[in-house]
Amino acid sequence: MTGFNFINPFGVSDEPGTYLGDFYTDNFEKKATAGNVILNLGPQHPSTHGVLRVLVELYGEYVLRAEPVLGYLHRMQEKMGEVKTPYQYLPNMGRVDYLNPIAWNWAFAGAVETLAGIEVPERAEYLRVIAAELNRVSSHLLWWGAFVMDLGGVTPILYAFEEREKLNDITQIVTGSRLTLNYFRFGGVGQDGDARFFKLIEEFIPYMRERLKMYTGLVTDNVIFRRRLEGVGPMDESLCLRYGATGPILRAAGVNYDTRLAIPYGVYDRLECPVPTGQPNDCFGRYMIRLLEIEASLTILERALASIPEGPTLVAKAPKPTYKLPAGEVYFAVEGARGQVGCHIVSDGGKTPYRVKLRAPGFSNLSLFAEAAQGTILADAIAILGSLDLVIPEVDR
Amino acid sequence: MIRAIWDNLKGLYSLLVGMKITLIFLFSPQKTVHYPRKTVERENLITYRGPLELTRGKTDPAVTRCISCQMCVKACPGHCLTVVKNPEKSVKAPIEWKYDFTLCCLCGACVETCPTSALAFSHRIYLVARTREELIFDLLADLKARVEETPVLPGEEGASAEAAQG
Ligand code: SF4
Ligand code: SF4
Repeated sequence: MTGFNFINPFGVSDEPGTYLGDFYTDNFEKKATAGNVILNLGPQHPSTHGVLRVLVELYGEYVLRAEPVLGYLHRMQEKMGEVKTPYQYLPNMGRVDYLNPIAWNWAFAGAVETLAGIEVPERAEYLRVIAAELNRVSSHLLWWGAFVMDLGGVTPILYAFEEREKLNDITQIVTGSRLTLNYFRFGGVGQDGDARFFKLIEEFIPYMRERLKMYTGLVTDNVIFRRRLEGVGPMDESLCLRYGATGPILRAAGVNYDTRLAIPYGVYDRLECPVPTGQPNDCFGRYMIRLLEIEASLTILERALASIPEGPTLVAKAPKPTYKLPAGEVYFAVEGARGQVGCHIVSDGGKTPYRVKLRAPGFSNLSLFAEAAQGTILADAIAILGSLDLVIPEVDR
Repeated sequence: MIRAIWDNLKGLYSLLVGMKITLIFLFSPQKTVHYPRKTVERENLITYRGPLELTRGKTDPAVTRCISCQMCVKACPGHCLTVVKNPEKSVKAPIEWKYDFTLCCLCGACVETCPTSALAFSHRIYLVARTREELIFDLLADLKARVEETPVLPGEEGASAEAAQG
């Protein structure tokens, strides 16, 4: 690009053919048609939810190409797994994805338990389901608020936060913290729920159902909102499968795949989870499916509360902090709020695992963006980005 | 044509429904807790796990239950604990118990491994510090100060309940 350089207007060199941006911008710029604008969305952009950078080539309002650039929030979570004992690494799981820590807790604890052959008591399994579903609701709620805010409606996030406060109060009783929950232990959970914990959940379920009705009136049925989203950013089955998208995005595309049912773990096979599928595969369908999932989670919570048995919440010989994993290899996947959360551990029987690989659903889901955003208007691209429900710390790990 | 008008009317109605909800919330009581004029009720505070504290001794509350076994130091993923043994072998109580809250991730590994339950989470939710050094706590001094302040705990609540006000 000659003439005015949009990426680096204060650059030192203005010779044609010399690129002044960083590596990604340079490479991206090489393929641009002359006259088009190259724009950096982010890393500090309110609609990218954290520090995601998206390079877009714009022809007027239209996005010709888009390329996400990652790594601004890389925290070496996988490497840390290699230098800490599994027990010491467990609190990290609450920090990989701060909106859905319980799913990560479960992925790692589940992987270690499978490899070491640790039995989890019945009551702990139910408490895990309860915690995971509460967490899924709270994650979807924040997404709901943030997504509507991306589209220009600022108030709904405040309603969402009211519910989240209630959920945080509930999860705080058993986990002790409000954001980076560290609830699971190898062979059980950290703490049993007390009477107040169960009472608050029982109160929360009907309350949340009322609120979902309110959400419908406030946002879902709103004509402006619907016309803004309907038909925007369709992602069909083949696109989702090619990029390995999971979770609500895949289910909105009509594929009935939910890790809770496909590879049952915990006591999910006994709870008969309802899995909403087959919404339209546009932004509105992805919006609807998450609201339906909140509803489904409430149903699962109800069933779990009804059938939770008495008993211990931690196995008698639970691993100590210096616990050594037996040699072997294991992959354990759970269904997080954003898709399949997986953990692959390779252990050589030493003090720390040889390798820990974390599969972040957000990473695969983000890959869809480049293709889905092609040829859309910039504002629609933002809507597509929002509908993917990205949490950048999780994408970067 | 009629369909278009009908669609528009339906759209307008949907906006009115939304506005009605907003209006109802405008006139309903406020839910925000205006700190510091108001605070969250105690019921919520005592489930919060704040920085560590040493629990009171069984016989003399001002003497820690810690036996300097170093289990917590080894368990801690953040390397935030320093427990210095008493050079005199007969005394088990430590002479120094430093806790670096800047490194702590509140995971609970130390609390769960301590064989004598000498550690507990406090409920200090309103902790403020201006420098890093203020967040490195000397827990032995902290225990002494707490015992001096309230020698006997009110009610049969846990040993760390009084910190909720602090
Ligand atoms: S809570 Fe965790 S990080 Fe904090 S001192 Fe204890 S073991 Fe270390
Ligand atoms: S584990 Fe308990 S007894 Fe041992 S050094 Fe730590 S605080 Fe003291």
